[in-house]
Amino acid sequence: MTMETSLSDTRVAKPWLTIWQQDVTHRKHVLNLFPSSLRPEIFWTSSNVTSKTILNMIFNADEAHNIVKECIESVLGKADYNHNKVNQWTAAIVEQSLTHLVKLGKTYKYIVTCAVMQRSGAGLHTASSCFWDTTTDGTCTVRWENRTMNCIVNVFAVAIIL
Amino acid sequence: MGDPGRGDGPGNTYSLRASARHRFKSSTVKECIRAILKEKLADVQYIPNDMPQLTMSLSEAIKDRLKEVGFDRYKMVVQVVIGEQRGEGVNMAARCFWDADNDSCAHDVFMNDSLFCIVAAFGCFYY
Repeated sequence: MTMETSLSDTRVAKPWLTIWQQDVTHRKHVLNLFPSSLRPEIFWTSSNVTSKTILNMIFNADEAHNIVKECIESVLGKADYNHNKVNQWTAAIVEQSLTHLVKLGKTYKYIVTCAVMQRSGAGLHTASSCFWDTTTDGTCTVRWENRTMNCIVNVFAVAIIL
Repeated sequence: MGDPGRGDGPGNTYSLRASARHRFKSSTVKECIRAILKEKLADVQYIPNDMPQLTMSLSEAIKDRLKEVGFDRYKMVVQVVIGEQRGEGVNMAARCFWDADNDSCAHDVFMNDSLFCIVAAFGCFYY
């Protein structure tokens, strides 16, 4: 693992802060990336600095599965494959799923992909390969079908460790 | 207090943004993907029994190649979709909730007479 040899701006700009205080500033900056309504609560103690916060953070795949399934049902419901509408459908499924996942309020970055196909008897295979921390990050796949189309939604959740 | 450190993990660099050279650039990643797809799928026909193996090996190969290129502080996700070419309609969409400054994605499509292949690669910065 290569360490950057040049000092970052924050270190040079605030030399009067101890290393501990700089670390806290760094973590608070990352938290500020979340909109205020969704910012998770973290109580600052000195132990937050030396250990990974939220150590028992595990991606709850079942919860995500339910959320996504509801979104698909609400968008595709009883519709038949329609070439003109399929763009709207995929966009709606993905946006709704993402909104609901973010509302859970966990410090995760989410990637949601959705593929909708006409049912014509052709085969489709998907695979994904991920380079991440298996203890905190996770994925969830939801397959749904009706008479005229198939839908596959993948959710990848990458934890933000502060 | 002393130096907090993170024990076994990568050292704390206090950097909140990836440096320009190490950023997950769409164009670089797209070229990597394109090269691998051309190399591996040039003369391949769609054979239902072989496809699961092929999709998995393709996604691993792309992930390993991206690691070699040198995105050190990135967590990566590579998704590969292969389907039979029968003239049917397929639509694929993705949305991401992340830090737009550092994180990014790239995708590519490969088609031949008997199959089509879509690859999407996402990179999330690890603070």
